Amino acid sequence: MIHWQETISVLSVDLKRFWLTFAIGVNLFLSIFSGFALAQATPPNIPLNPDFTFPGKDTPQGVEVNSASLVENANAWNGRVITFKGEVIGEAMVRGKMVWIHLNDDAYMWKNIEEEAKLDGYNSGHAVWISSDLAMGIRFFGDFKHEGDVVKIAGMFHAACPQHGGDMDIHASTLEIVRVGHSVHHVFNTSRAITAAVLLVLALVLYRFRIIIRSRYAF
Amino acid sequence: MIVRPRWADFKIIGLYTGKVVNGIALLMVVPLATSIFFGEWNPALDFLLAIGACLVFGLGLEVLCQTSRDLAWGHGLVVVSFSWLMATVLGAIPLHLSGHFSSYLDAMFDVMSGYTTTGLILLQDLDHVSNGLNMWRHVLTFAGGQGIIVIALTFLFKGTAGAYKIYVGEGKDERLLPNVIQTARAIWLVSLAYLMVGSFFLWIAGMSLGLGPVRGLLHAVWIFMSAWSTGGFAPQSYNSFYYHSLLYEVITVPIFVIGSFNFALHWAVWTREKTEIYRNIEIISFFTTMTIAMLLAMAGLMKLNVYPDIIALFRKMFYQVTSAHTTTGLATIYSRTFVRQWGAMAMLGIILAMAIGASACSTGGGFKGIRMGIIFKAVIQDVRRLISPESARIVEKWHHISTRLLDDATVRTAMLIVLSYVGIYALGTVVGVYYGYDLVQAMFDSVSAGSNSGLSCGVVSPTMPTLMKVVYIFEMWAGRLEFMSLFALAGYWVALFRGR
Repeated sequence: MIHWQETISVLSVDLKRFWLTFAIGVNLFLSIFSGFALAQATPPNIPLNPDFTFPGKDTPQGVEVNSASLVENANAWNGRVITFKGEVIGEAMVRGKMVWIHLNDDAYMWKNIEEEAKLDGYNSGHAVWISSDLAMGIRFFGDFKHEGDVVKIAGMFHAACPQHGGDMDIHASTLEIVRVGHSVHHVFNTSRAITAAVLLVLALVLYRFRIIIRSRYAF
Repeated sequence: MIVRPRWADFKIIGLYTGKVVNGIALLMVVPLATSIFFGEWNPALDFLLAIGACLVFGLGLEVLCQTSRDLAWGHGLVVVSFSWLMATVLGAIPLHLSGHFSSYLDAMFDVMSGYTTTGLILLQDLDHVSNGLNMWRHVLTFAGGQGIIVIALTFLFKGTAGAYKIYVGEGKDERLLPNVIQTARAIWLVSLAYLMVGSFFLWIAGMSLGLGPVRGLLHAVWIFMSAWSTGGFAPQSYNSFYYHSLLYEVITVPIFVIGSFNFALHWAVWTREKTEIYRNIEIISFFTTMTIAMLLAMAGLMKLNVYPDIIALFRKMFYQVTSAHTTTGLATIYSRTFVRQWGAMAMLGIILAMAIGASACSTGGGFKGIRMGIIFKAVIQDVRRLISPESARIVEKWHHISTRLLDDATVRTAMLIVLSYVGIYALGTVVGVYYGYDLVQAMFDSVSAGSNSGLSCGVVSPTMPTLMKVVYIFEMWAGRLEFMSLFALAGYWVALFRGR
């Protein structure tokens, strides 16, 4: 029986061959129609987005970065050790001795909409790959009924992680709980309950009317 | 001469629109039950209020517009477009009441996106919404995929001769069975059977990935609904990226590929003709255009050296392109990654895939494979005609359930619809560029809305200009209904003022 890793490596070789043939074909085509120099011209890389932070030569390791900057200038931050702070949402997805957690550093990090925070855009955050021992300290995960813990992690950022199929992630080595989360208290909306009751009674009356009217049209 | 619609015409339209709106109230029972089960009392109230509003509107229309006349073609088409509008307005009530939207228009945007299986969202702080609201979002997309008219036909219509006329108006014209109500029930039978099987596999996979049994089940049902309907909604803001799992990807890809196939093809394969899957023009067209889109995306990604190895590149590229081509919109990358890492070339591959889209009479959008196949065959026929003697009679055939001769009327119809799609894609692009967005990015999100795909590169956001939101809502609506119903509704408005 072929082991799955062997299957993947065979597949990988086949894909590489396929891609090589395709690339040679494309280059040959370009060389014939546009000349060798143009065919081999290097395309410009995607430039840095100056509206978001990016590392310079003297940027120290472990600097705190937000999720938007990591996405907008992913290639520049790739392979750097950074610090990232956010609310833990969803759940910890355990994979052996490691675990996936998701940290949101958006406008709802300290207070979410269910706690009547101001609307201020989408969620944004990052996936973090961390040891389950470190993640065990997390008490609250953000959802409808909870405001999650806010944690600060430090680790290496990958624009396309070679270990995780090209996912953009942070491999964290430390975790510090900045704020413990809590349950969200929802106040029962009485006026909404009364409106709903009135509408449902009205619907019941209309339903009776409909039966009467339909019986007339049936003949 | 344009004939002005009479009160009797409005009564027919009102009666059937009322029935469809009652169907929306029926659908809301599912999220209501979910909210009650999880003790989410305020969302439960929101759904009760919305059910009340739908029933008052729907039953009110039925009482006011009761008639024994049956539908004509024009009525059927207007009923569909008007019902979709009203279903959007009323379906947005629980979303708006949740407090996660900046305006009622934003809530309507998400509802239209759900019904049309687009998947673009303006909902804010998705990671803190209730299970009930998440259920409603996914039920919207599941119901929209099969067609809300199909739901009404399945549960609320009895022996109506005109039922076929509103069924066709929703962008479906295949009769799987002789009776259209039986056809609607067959569509539900197929979808519910897949729902059970698909959700079960996703549930098992979810638990193996670290989701708890209850959360795993909810995620499985929601992701199945989204994938099968080629919707694109997901319960977390990270979309499919949340799971970090090849297994989840391996399960979801076949679901949205199968979901994007023609219901008639499903039925043929289920009931009699297994070889149909190899011969069908849409399947051949789908795999041809998908290969082209993949090569484009791959070339772009290779040039920019985005991924560390060929396996990672292929995995990301395959998921995104397949999701785009089936007009699903589930993604394993951030929206802005398209712009900031993938680059224009790979984005063009995705745009091409989204523009062409899925199969006719499916849950998907876009030009549709059948039309691409017909147009390609027509080009081949014309080329053959050019190089053949004048006396030669050139015959081209195409196969979809049965083998048919290609005629000019079929080609003209296909071209008309494709041109209409190009028109709405262009409209959204122009408006985007007008507001200062980059051309490729404006085109990306416009094509995504018009083809009901749902992938975004960051143009769609709660802060985008109101006109763009309206244009995108129109694109989603027009693209899903494939224009004829909209033309009929517009015609009714013209006739109202200019008819005699």
